[in-house]
Amino acid sequence: MSPLPGIAPMSVPPAAFLAAGTILFVIGLIGALLKRNALSIFLSIELMMNAVNLLFLTWGRMRGDASSHVIVFFVIAIAAAEAAVGLAVFVALFRARQTIEVDRVNLLKW
Amino acid sequence: MTGDLLLFAFSAGLAIAFALAMVVQKTPVRSVLALVVTFFGMAVLAVMLAAPFIAAIIVIVYAGAILVLFLFVIMLLNLNEEAREKETRPVQRALGLVAALALGGLLLGVTLRAPAPPVGTPSAGPRIPLLDEIPVIGRLLFSDYLFAFEAVAVLLLAAAVGALILSKRRMD
Amino acid sequence: MKPLYWIPLLPLLGFVLNGAVALASSSRRARRGEGGERLPYGERLFHGIVGVGSVGAATVLAFGALVPWSEQAFAGRALPVVETAFTWMFAGDFSVAVAFRLDALSALMLSFVTFVGTLIHLYSVGYMQEEEGYGRYFAFLNLFMFAMLTLVLGANLPVLFIGWEGVGLCSYLLIGYYYDKDFAAAAGKKAFVVNRVGDVGFVLGIFGVLALFGTTDFSFLEAAKQQVLSGSAPLSVYAVCLLLFLGACGKSAQVPLYVWLPDAMAGPTPVSALIHAATMVTAGVYLVARTSALFVLAPDALTLVAWVGAGTAVFAASIGLAQNDIKKVLAYSTVSQLGYMFLACGVGAFAAGMFHVFTHSFFKACLFLGSGSVIHALHHEQDMRKMGGLAPRLPQTFRTMLIATLAIAGIVPFAGFFSKDQILGSVAAGGHPALYVVGVATAAMTAFYMFRLIRMTFAGEFRGTHEQEHHLHESPATMTVPLWILAAGSVLSGFIWVPMGVSNLLPRFLAPALAEMPEHHMSHGAELGLMALSLGAALAGIALAVRWYTGRPAPEHAAHRPAEEIVVSPAAAAFCGKTGLLGALVKNKWNVDEGIEAGVLGPFRGIGRVLWKGVDALVIDGIANASAFLVELAGDLLRFFTTGNVRNYALGFTLGALVLVAYVLFF
Repeated sequence: MSPLPGIAPMSVPPAAFLAAGTILFVIGLIGALLKRNALSIFLSIELMMNAVNLLFLTWGRMRGDASSHVIVFFVIAIAAAEAAVGLAVFVALFRARQTIEVDRVNLLKW
Repeated sequence: MTGDLLLFAFSAGLAIAFALAMVVQKTPVRSVLALVVTFFGMAVLAVMLAAPFIAAIIVIVYAGAILVLFLFVIMLLNLNEEAREKETRPVQRALGLVAALALGGLLLGVTLRAPAPPVGTPSAGPRIPLLDEIPVIGRLLFSDYLFAFEAVAVLLLAAAVGALILSKRRMD
Repeated sequence: MKPLYWIPLLPLLGFVLNGAVALASSSRRARRGEGGERLPYGERLFHGIVGVGSVGAATVLAFGALVPWSEQAFAGRALPVVETAFTWMFAGDFSVAVAFRLDALSALMLSFVTFVGTLIHLYSVGYMQEEEGYGRYFAFLNLFMFAMLTLVLGANLPVLFIGWEGVGLCSYLLIGYYYDKDFAAAAGKKAFVVNRVGDVGFVLGIFGVLALFGTTDFSFLEAAKQQVLSGSAPLSVYAVCLLLFLGACGKSAQVPLYVWLPDAMAGPTPVSALIHAATMVTAGVYLVARTSALFVLAPDALTLVAWVGAGTAVFAASIGLAQNDIKKVLAYSTVSQLGYMFLACGVGAFAAGMFHVFTHSFFKACLFLGSGSVIHALHHEQDMRKMGGLAPRLPQTFRTMLIATLAIAGIVPFAGFFSKDQILGSVAAGGHPALYVVGVATAAMTAFYMFRLIRMTFAGEFRGTHEQEHHLHESPATMTVPLWILAAGSVLSGFIWVPMGVSNLLPRFLAPALAEMPEHHMSHGAELGLMALSLGAALAGIALAVRWYTGRPAPEHAAHRPAEEIVVSPAAAAFCGKTGLLGALVKNKWNVDEGIEAGVLGPFRGIGRVLWKGVDALVIDGIANASAFLVELAGDLLRFFTTGNVRNYALGFTLGALVLVAYVLFF
């Protein structure tokens, strides 16, 4: 464990940060489940990922551990890669199907 | 209320409000813009958590690159029209809402049960200087997390190549 | 003196050589498409020399070992010689070595097994020379000698058992020598399987011995001897004795495990002589004699042995009265004589039993080889009703067979008289009146059916075809010389034990190897009386047979075909007519085979069918098929989950995560 220099007590209780992060996560989850537009779903997923980042940072701050920052760093990098590839997929999908609504893309059914 | 609490309340509230806005919006463009504001709020929260570097990364990479990429794609595909059809699966939608809220409640329960911090003795010293984070992260990246670092680099390369191939027009 | 193991090893070598050459030669002939005729002279010479030579050399070695040992024994100075070749298996305290033992009992067995064996090998050279499977025959015969010698020389029960199983295997191989005949193949199988039933008892008995004494080496018999003094034996000794006796019954064809021996006559006649008369079938008697110290501890077991022996003797003799196949008569006669041997052991006269083993090997082998000579001369005719009047045409065969028949009938001074008399005398002296009566009755029946055989075959006029009569000739020297030697043995072998103090060689010799039984002394007068009684019974049987079977057909029966019963002996036919049901049963071998088929084999087949159709087909296959059906059903139901709709899947994730988090939170 590599602590940040000195662990000062937090002026805002950490529970608040955790609650905020969880609420953002749930909002993103609702968006992912309820939207029909593929891009909107994707955006919601990005929101979920960032909410998790917030949670990680909170825990890192609580323990004075900088590893959580590194994790968040990687999450962001991977989110970038994922966004690039995902959007490329949507582009290809749109070109093939002329639509980007997920309900229309259901050939792989029984 | 101290200044910190106020700041927290403001930025958290901003983030949550605009997140809700994003979900409610029908037009993709407006959703993206709402999300940008959400991310700004979250960046402020990150700064409050003594992670200024991460805050900068969020703003630059997340809000500045990824969401802009989203905008590009929306423009490219001209997806700005609203969805016109009615919802084909109302039951599923309702069930999804209920499930998500339930899960949210449970997650709140889980996260708020997290044990109290104290790894070392909390010092009564000053706050963490903002500029000390970067060398620590840098050292970690190149020692403990070196393999992951290199792997992510390769991943980004693969993503770039993949995106390129996937979005080519077919040469029929 | 070479080590003992060379004695069984030389025939084994003969088996390997003969077998290799026979295999190579037969495959070469098969490739060339030849076959069905007799082998070329060179091959026959090779097989004959190796076959007879290996056994003959073993005989020389055997006598070279046992003659000096016997001299020492008579001087009272000999101890059993035990040579260990190597340790076969060991586990903790328990170990079994491949070891060979020369003592009085094994020396006696060794003497006639090798000697008679060599004579029969020599006889086979002439008898089997028309056969294409000549090499195979000698190979298996050599293998048999190896197994039998291992059995006889074994120093512990496991090595004896190896020999035991080996002779069983060779019996199967040689009975089924004419493997293209269904009946012969079936007979071989029957012999092996019935033997196996006995072997179950034998193996369990070995385990019992191991449990009781901690060792299977024959040294356990010394410990058993000590126990005679310490009172009655526990129940387990009875059990072990009964189990060992079961094994002996299987090998030595006692009721009810005798059914294989008459069928075994399907094999070549020298095989019947060697295996089913002189050597293999006596292995059971040898086993009982060897473990006599154990049997003596369980008197009730001995009583059972005596009754089984007596019952078998009279039962088999009764069947022999009505058989028309010359070899079958001799087969039932063998079963009957084996019964005598067990009767002797059962009353504690183990030495008398072994004496009968010794003499029986000579005269029974002579009888079988003689019948083989007759069969050979008549081109494989075995039905006595089609014989007759052969005495002037086959003089040497006739004379040797007559000598052997007099021996088996128990006429003084031939060997059978002394050994049978010794047995009957011991039975009477031991105070078993019922058994004595059975014994005498059997002796009378034996004399009758044996002389019936002689008369039907050799006396009167020939009843066969003209073609057979034309080709009749005496057998070559390779066949007649063994006959004469065996006939000589039938005369001389009795003189090693003549009662009333004339000659006491055998009991003195065997005493150290057998259990001690209380001596029963009879007055000379009583002994002479018993001898006269048994002699009288035998003479009565002979007289009746001679009167009934004149061999000359009466003119009033000229209308019947020559081979019918009424032509052969009108008096006998008339008698059979009056015997009604009893006669029919005797003629049909008391329907024992049919009884076994219905009572034992039928239920087994039924059980097999139930297990096959019911358990295997319904249950086991059913389970396999049902599980396949269930998997298919599950698949058919589960595929409705793949809706193709991404939002469905996302909902699935969420629900799953919900369940997990709830679990973590609340449990």
